[in-house]
Amino acid sequence: MALNVLIVDDSGVMRAMIKKTMLMSGLPLGEVYQAGNGKDGLEILNQNWIDLVVVDINMPVMNGEEMLSQMRENPGTKDIPVVVISTEGSQTRIERLIKKGASFIQKPFSPELIRDIVKEITGIGGDDEPPVK
Amino acid sequence: MNHRLNDVLFNVAEETLEKLAFMFVSREYDREDIDYDSIVAASISFSGPFSGNLVLTISTNCVPELSANMLGVEEDETTPDQQDDALKETLNVICGNILPAIAGKKAVFNITAPFIVNGMEDIKKAVEKVDGKGPASVVRMEMDGEQCDIFLYIDGEIPEDFFND
Repeated sequence: MALNVLIVDDSGVMRAMIKKTMLMSGLPLGEVYQAGNGKDGLEILNQNWIDLVVVDINMPVMNGEEMLSQMRENPGTKDIPVVVISTEGSQTRIERLIKKGASFIQKPFSPELIRDIVKEITGIGGDDEPPVK
Repeated sequence: MNHRLNDVLFNVAEETLEKLAFMFVSREYDREDIDYDSIVAASISFSGPFSGNLVLTISTNCVPELSANMLGVEEDETTPDQQDDALKETLNVICGNILPAIAGKKAVFNITAPFIVNGMEDIKKAVEKVDGKGPASVVRMEMDGEQCDIFLYIDGEIPEDFFND
């Protein structure tokens, strides 16, 4: 099964890095959607089948925590797995996100960590070694 | 200026540049100021238990490699916007990691969006802080034969626990 992923981060370079890292990890990616803030991310969620959301916290217009809260209030999106990938270092805020059912990865991240977290929360895994082309 | 603060800032910057952009730095203890003629800078502000800002200055020659490494493409394939974005995101990650290293993991900070500082005069103003208060920490580094400096400015008191650990 291929994962349809939504990556929400206000940095285009970081979105590209996360996508590249997920591909390197051998995760079976289907469609990869991208948004620059939480509001745009929610719109994409409402229009497409998404299996996994990867979201930053600090973003303009709507931050990642607000997006996560709105997702959890919507019956159509409340059960979608969410991984927060952020520079956030405050344990207080991280615990708040975890209570809302998100997993947390701090930047800078390693491909292995992303692979392991995604495998854990989706049950769909990448190979231990990236595919040789 | 505090040596422990400098060491922590260097360690965070080193780890960030290595993990994020596969760029390896070495520390330069005795170097003069960075060459303002050929650098670009990014700045970010924060507020919380103490407030302040962090400024990253880097030789312009390094920026295409920084962005290319982050994106996994060739240097000539990156656009100026992507290069600015890569620099801002690098600073953002350094800032997000240095604050809990100083204030502890329970401290909550609000961090503004990073921005690029262009032009020699504006960069000098950003790193010299015209209010006369100098940086709490400066780390000078060498990266592929080029220069990269980080300036940390703090308004307020650093928790005493930081110095006692």
